[in-house]
Amino acid sequence: MGAKRKNSGDGDGSSNGDGKEVKKAKKKESMAESLLPSMIKNKEKRSEVHAKLKHQKKLEKRKKAKAREAAEKRALDLGEEPPPKSIPRTIENTREFDETICMPDDEELFAGNDADEFAPVLNQELTPKILITTCRFNSTRGPAFISDLLSVIPNSVYYKRGTYDLKKIVEYAKNKDFSFVIVVHTNRREPDALLMIGLPNGPTAHFKVSNLVLRKDIKNHGNPTSHNPELIMNNFTTRLGHRIGRLFQSLFPQDPNFRGRRVVTFHNQRDFIFFRHHRYIFETKESKQVSSKGKNAKTDKDEGSSEPKVIARLQECGPRFTLKLRSLQHGTFDSKGGEFEWVHKPEMDTSRRRFFL
Amino acid sequence: MSKGRRKASNAAVFTASAAVNRAVSKFSGYNSRQEGRAQKLQSTMPRTTTLDTPGCPPLRALAFDSLGLIKVVECKGEEKGAAKMVEKWGQPDASSAVVAASILDREFNPLLAVARKNGSVDILTPVNGAIQASISNLSQTQDSPQDNAIVGLHLFKKPWSESSLRSYTFLTSTIKGCASIRSFELPESRAEIVSDVTQTTWSTSGSGETLFLKVDGSECYSLFGGKGVEVNVWDLLTSTKIWTAKSPAKNNLGIFTPTWFTSASFLSKDDHRKFVSGTHNHQVRLYDTSAQRRPVMSFDFRDTPIKAVSGDLDGQTIYVGNGSGDLASFDIRTGKLLGSFVGKCAGSIRSIVRHPELPVLASCGLDSYLRFWDINSRQLLSAVFLKQPLTDVVFDSYFGNKEVAPALDLQPQLECLSEISDGEEDMAPRKRKKTSKKHKESKKLKLSKTGMHGSGDVSEILDSSEENTLQDTRKKASKAHKRSDKLKSKRTKQ
Repeated sequence: MGAKRKNSGDGDGSSNGDGKEVKKAKKKESMAESLLPSMIKNKEKRSEVHAKLKHQKKLEKRKKAKAREAAEKRALDLGEEPPPKSIPRTIENTREFDETICMPDDEELFAGNDADEFAPVLNQELTPKILITTCRFNSTRGPAFISDLLSVIPNSVYYKRGTYDLKKIVEYAKNKDFSFVIVVHTNRREPDALLMIGLPNGPTAHFKVSNLVLRKDIKNHGNPTSHNPELIMNNFTTRLGHRIGRLFQSLFPQDPNFRGRRVVTFHNQRDFIFFRHHRYIFETKESKQVSSKGKNAKTDKDEGSSEPKVIARLQECGPRFTLKLRSLQHGTFDSKGGEFEWVHKPEMDTSRRRFFL
Repeated sequence: MSKGRRKASNAAVFTASAAVNRAVSKFSGYNSRQEGRAQKLQSTMPRTTTLDTPGCPPLRALAFDSLGLIKVVECKGEEKGAAKMVEKWGQPDASSAVVAASILDREFNPLLAVARKNGSVDILTPVNGAIQASISNLSQTQDSPQDNAIVGLHLFKKPWSESSLRSYTFLTSTIKGCASIRSFELPESRAEIVSDVTQTTWSTSGSGETLFLKVDGSECYSLFGGKGVEVNVWDLLTSTKIWTAKSPAKNNLGIFTPTWFTSASFLSKDDHRKFVSGTHNHQVRLYDTSAQRRPVMSFDFRDTPIKAVSGDLDGQTIYVGNGSGDLASFDIRTGKLLGSFVGKCAGSIRSIVRHPELPVLASCGLDSYLRFWDINSRQLLSAVFLKQPLTDVVFDSYFGNKEVAPALDLQPQLECLSEISDGEEDMAPRKRKKTSKKHKESKKLKLSKTGMHGSGDVSEILDSSEENTLQDTRKKASKAHKRSDKLKSKRTKQ
């Protein structure tokens, strides 16, 4: 009881002190406001004032952190509930309000899904068949990337581009019952764009490719088997994102072979789509557990022997790259006469907190 | 390098957790857990920016989408507010996607005709969405509706023949250039499939694909055009072709661009000679049928195909929308760009409609937004997200009038109604009902409120007893109003 009173007294005292300091700081602030460092013309003076301000800010921040820590500790000591941890503001959780975000109870969404171009593949009426080709001039990393892609996407074939028009290729692929055409575009011997054309009348998506790491450049990479992979789609929330997600999904057969333990991930974060390809394994590790927790082994041993802990381990198979959507075009590839469902325009980039996928 | 490593480790973490989840459950699309969390954050997050759309004047528009739904968008109130979707008609079905729509925009007994992908034409009441009749195209043509889909539709305002007033006429054109005028009589019972359709059919083009159909203000002439089809004008009374365009000469490099018209619009209501049309190779052309067969003027607009063209009421300004979502207005006398409508419009524009009275423009397209623009300032007034790719939009222009029209104006309306009802005693006048009445009431109430209070400050000072009395008086007023309404209805019945 006494300790509590003491504590509270301390708290009061400190708060009083804080009040005085705050007042002082306020005075200083008002001074500073009237005279911003950037308004001073003498450079030496300006940098001096600026450094002072910066130092003050740092002190304040430290004091705040200390106070927070103290409060937490006090709460812990007293057995009270610690003050709630404040959630840091990130760009994602302060995202601009978007009315196009898909809701799970939207029947129109599902009706639209049933009617869209990917429905036959996703309802398993059709197994996807993919043609991969390149741009006209293609060397070094391009073919390597394609050989990686061929191992990732089941049922895919590489065709030499030759000097054919893309529209001719699309026509050919349509006749051969392909469901997708992927064009890897290279610039300066570096793959820099992906074009995905849905067939027979599916949309055409154009992506920028960056941060490409091929399989052979990944340390301790695994070699994928030929089993159908599982898919993970993360954070495709808006209508456009949903559509793009369905597009990626329809590249793969819809019956994953779980024995293969292959996972392909498309993770969307701030409109960048991260592609990863992994193998996983579930392991039961009893011996390691015991050894690591040697000190309180008695209780752990009993538990460990009764139910062994299962952990999942991952091994990356590659390739690893990042995609960014540039445009989504209605119908098959038509660069001149195409009708776009979505195009990125510079006027959309007026806010950092606006995302489209 | 370190950045890359960090990213990789992040990825490892999320995949590890997800892999465990996934391995057991069957894969079925999205990580619902993640989505749920995102939504929670959505609801609690601070809103950092506000959309600065000034809101639009009271209006009502109907948008048609690729799932065959009709969505009613209204903007209510005297104050400028954001437009909202108020009603949705129909069941989502991809085979009944709307391809064209036409509205008979009048005060009494308005009608809406909707052509669907499966070849049928539905006639609806644009007030409540009740289907009056449904006419299927199948019986008339041999081709399946997939091959020979309807591309254009026009519902005539004037009575086509000297038959009864319940008969209506519409003109359709299919993609193969098969134009037909059909007359039908509205059946007594609703939602009945009409069989007694009289029609005249002719072919407007030998080859190529017809892509649009437009009818001028006097409803005597119509325009057809499309891919491989030069724009041609037909006299509807005699169904003869009176004019065809001639493609422009080869350019200085000797390159000839194949004809591919995507849209057209008559410049003004009373002139059938001048019209503008947009082409697939991003050109806008002005034709004058009295002058020459080649375009009088042509200019380029951006670099994606023109998808929609619409003329203003004054016949001097045109609005052009293209395949990448750019919308701009041009002065057609000079061919100069007046300005473009900027508002984060990302998808192809399928339809542009000018409001018959207010200075408002509506555009809709593949990005499933219906947007309202101010014509003079070219500013976005309001944007409504309608969930599906939209194909067409029409204005229901008598919506706003209803609200403004006071009760005293009923007399002339009654007179004109009696004129109409000479021929059609059996038909009860389908007036715009509930919504409009409500508006009137609310408006009256508001008026009475302001009359009593004088200003907002007074109401704050008022104590409870006074408020009670106020409420009483309000009730009385509304009662009186209802009485007057009843009277009105009686009068209309007479």
